[in-house]
Amino acid sequence: MDDVIVRIGGAAGDGVQSAGLILTKTFSRNGLYVSTYNYYQSLIRGGQGWYQIRTSEEVVKNQGSGLDVLIALNEDALNRHTDENINEGGASPLSGIAIFDGVMITNYNKNSNVKYCPVPLRDIALKYDKNPLLKNTVALGATIASLGVGFNAFANVIREVFGKKGKIAELNVNAAKEGYDYFMDNYSVYKKVKTIKRKMYASTGGDAVGFGGINAGMQMYFAYPMTPASSVMQFFSTHAKKYNIFVKVTEDEISAINAAIGANYAGVRTMTGSSGGGFALMTEGVGLSAMTEVPLVVYEAQRPGPSTGLPTKTEQGDLNQVIGAGQGDFPRIVLAPGNITDAFNLTKEAFNLAYKYQLPVFIMSDLYLAEHVETLLNIDLDYIMDNGLMAKDNEENYKRYEFTDSGISKRAVPGQKGLMHNEDSDEHDEYGNVVSDQVTDPKIRMLSVEKRMRKIEDYIKNMPPTRTYKIEEADYLVVQWGSTRGAVEEVIDKLRGEDIKIGAVEIDHIFPLNPDIKNYLKNKKRIIVVENNYSGQLNKLLKSEFLINTDFIGKYDGEAFYPDELKNSIEGKINEKYEKIKIRGE
Amino acid sequence: MESYKGKVAPDWCPGCGNFAQLRAISAALAELNIEPENAVITSGIGCSSNMPEFINAYGYHGLHGRLVPVAAGIKWANPDLTVIGYGGDGDGYFEGTQHLYHFAKRNVDITYMVSDNQVFGLTTGQASPTTPIGRKTKNTPDGNIEPPFNPLQYVLTAGASFVARGFSGDIKTLTEITKEAIKHKGFSFIDVLSPCPTYNKFNGYDFYRKTFYRLENNNKEDFYEAYKHASEWGDQPHSIPTGIFYEVNKTRYEDADEVLSKGSLKKTAPYKLTEDDLTEFY
Ligand SMILES: Cc1ncc(C[n+]2csc(CCOP(=O)(O)OP(=O)(O)O)c2C)c(N)n1
Ligand code: SF4
Ligand SMILES: [Mg+2]
Repeated sequence: MDDVIVRIGGAAGDGVQSAGLILTKTFSRNGLYVSTYNYYQSLIRGGQGWYQIRTSEEVVKNQGSGLDVLIALNEDALNRHTDENINEGGASPLSGIAIFDGVMITNYNKNSNVKYCPVPLRDIALKYDKNPLLKNTVALGATIASLGVGFNAFANVIREVFGKKGKIAELNVNAAKEGYDYFMDNYSVYKKVKTIKRKMYASTGGDAVGFGGINAGMQMYFAYPMTPASSVMQFFSTHAKKYNIFVKVTEDEISAINAAIGANYAGVRTMTGSSGGGFALMTEGVGLSAMTEVPLVVYEAQRPGPSTGLPTKTEQGDLNQVIGAGQGDFPRIVLAPGNITDAFNLTKEAFNLAYKYQLPVFIMSDLYLAEHVETLLNIDLDYIMDNGLMAKDNEENYKRYEFTDSGISKRAVPGQKGLMHNEDSDEHDEYGNVVSDQVTDPKIRMLSVEKRMRKIEDYIKNMPPTRTYKIEEADYLVVQWGSTRGAVEEVIDKLRGEDIKIGAVEIDHIFPLNPDIKNYLKNKKRIIVVENNYSGQLNKLLKSEFLINTDFIGKYDGEAFYPDELKNSIEGKINEKYEKIKIRGE
Repeated sequence: MESYKGKVAPDWCPGCGNFAQLRAISAALAELNIEPENAVITSGIGCSSNMPEFINAYGYHGLHGRLVPVAAGIKWANPDLTVIGYGGDGDGYFEGTQHLYHFAKRNVDITYMVSDNQVFGLTTGQASPTTPIGRKTKNTPDGNIEPPFNPLQYVLTAGASFVARGFSGDIKTLTEITKEAIKHKGFSFIDVLSPCPTYNKFNGYDFYRKTFYRLENNNKEDFYEAYKHASEWGDQPHSIPTGIFYEVNKTRYEDADEVLSKGSLKKTAPYKLTEDDLTEFY
């Protein structure tokens, strides 16, 4: 694949991310696929962070290994990203050109793999304005030149970002042009990027979930801010008026989930969300939704734990928490989007599942998925809101929790005539009346448990088939869930290119597991489970569910997998002593 | 007008104050001509919180301490409903304190009545946030040393727009207060002195009949007067005020919010997404 990887490095407050987003937009608006990576710390000023953009004519599935163009906004960034022993969680050192302010940064470590292209960023910027961030625009202009992209394509995006007519927009355009010209006059195009006339849309995972919610008819969102779940809340807050979404930051996450339950109970599609710590507080509410059979969609965006952990980093360490949250034995559905398009689609699916089965449904994300930008693939806005079985007004002898074959009983919402009933967090009978107040009826308790559990059996029967990737004649199988999908697919492409028969099972309906997975586990030389965590939470689930032997590759440094590093690890597993894997019981 | 009498008979101990609150709420709803299908009773966990089953309306018996956010979620989804929260002092003044404060402050249009029996009833008699100092309970065998929580001052400070106290032994006044609370536009709060003959042997009907009085001619719009009345407490006649302490007109959260003020979300079709909307992105 012909691609280009650009990275912008600097301190917090240097405008690294906004510069990255302008560049991302430039590629996207010019018909290219993008996938980005945001590396930052939990602070407002100082430190070192960077933003990476990978772009290509073809689909880009992850941030990529390698680095073609570095924009270094300070000396530290220049040294860090040109260092062969770079320690940034799997990101590659620069083997391309470095664009930096040659007047400000003079004393840096030289690396022979790097072509240094100093540009007097600050001096150029000062001709136009005192705003220190203007030098970023100059650097972006130079970068666009180094990629052989016409200046107009870039100028239009600047105007879009800074407001079509405004003085500031023109000032930025002019500064960028001077950066562009400076590069053209002093250096030559480093790697040509072909722009294409076609419409592309790119989004962050957080925005995709927000978008999916709106497409699914969601009208309210209750939450308490916590990175990396906040981006969904922010999306709804920013667009509340346009999409008529009521967003409320409550006093805590307990309140958020209970209010969301109240709203869904009253018949308005509502979502709540948090990261692991806030979600821990929601735990009791999860069981409330399950017990009262009130539909609920919970967005859970993981970051490394335990406790406060690493607020601005990524991990897949909450699977156990999400599948285990809540006392007692009850059904739930957990979805784990594998990319940003999936985040959009599964959010839509989550609402219909929650309403069909009247139980809690989770969308599990992580910081990487939530915050990076990726081109959306085949967006389908068609959606039929299916609210599931509803009772008709004045129905005779209405039983809110009728023991049906599917376990699903008709809902009734307040305001409906003649259907008044009780919904109860205590165990209850078919009418919703508590069974334990005077004499506990053990039979009814059993029937109620079975009724709730039958719903999940029905769901399993109707689950979409498990996603696979290049599994034809595969000797080796990778199993992944959630946001590692893009890196895994790229490694599989590369290994297939080297005649290694390897494929992947991609689990995005992670709990309960689809029994069809068993079919893909047969006759493999190795089953390699890849997860962004230490202990292999899916791995353990797979082993107990399917009684298989597996190999496990885990990454828990707070960063997402990079394709080259993952390829090395997978090759390592493949080359380990051969041992035929048997599925017990076969 | 259908009756508000539920199909399940109350299971409270004989003489329990909750019977009075059940009568007051049912009577208030009936007298205000609110159809049972348009009323929702939400509760927490405790003896008191078993209320929803005993009323013929929509009932939602949720978690210990969490009835207020559930009630607000319901009201925000469908403003045409009358939403009444009902729970105990342990439920509301321990586990759910933060919700009480913040929803009162937001002035969400719900009514919240607390059955304040100064004890944990359902868990068989431990000290609650309103248990007086010195009182021996199951878990304070040498007497309670923690000062009691003053719910009325707390809620006044939070910014509630309707603050009242009732007494289970004075159903007539309690019903009147409940009616006013339901009619009030905004967060209405009623703390009810509710005897628990089983676990609170001290402050029962006799104690309150001797000590309570009805506020008359108080200036309900005077915050400081209300706050002063809220500090009154004692074992002498005329030392514990009941009635409406405070009632003012204040912007409801629902009126201030740009989305909710446009009308009932329940009655509004969700936004239909088009491809044009996608251009907001990259
Ligand atoms: C989260 C949680 N903690 C504890 C309990 C146990 N519990 C049930 S009722 C109750 C206290 C009841 O006291 P109060 O709220 O005053 O209600 P009352 O029974 O006095 O009406 C407690 C602690 C529970 N159900 N849930
Ligand atoms: S224990 Fe007390 S509060 Fe509970 S039902 Fe009996 S009298 Fe009422
Ligand atoms: Mg109590």
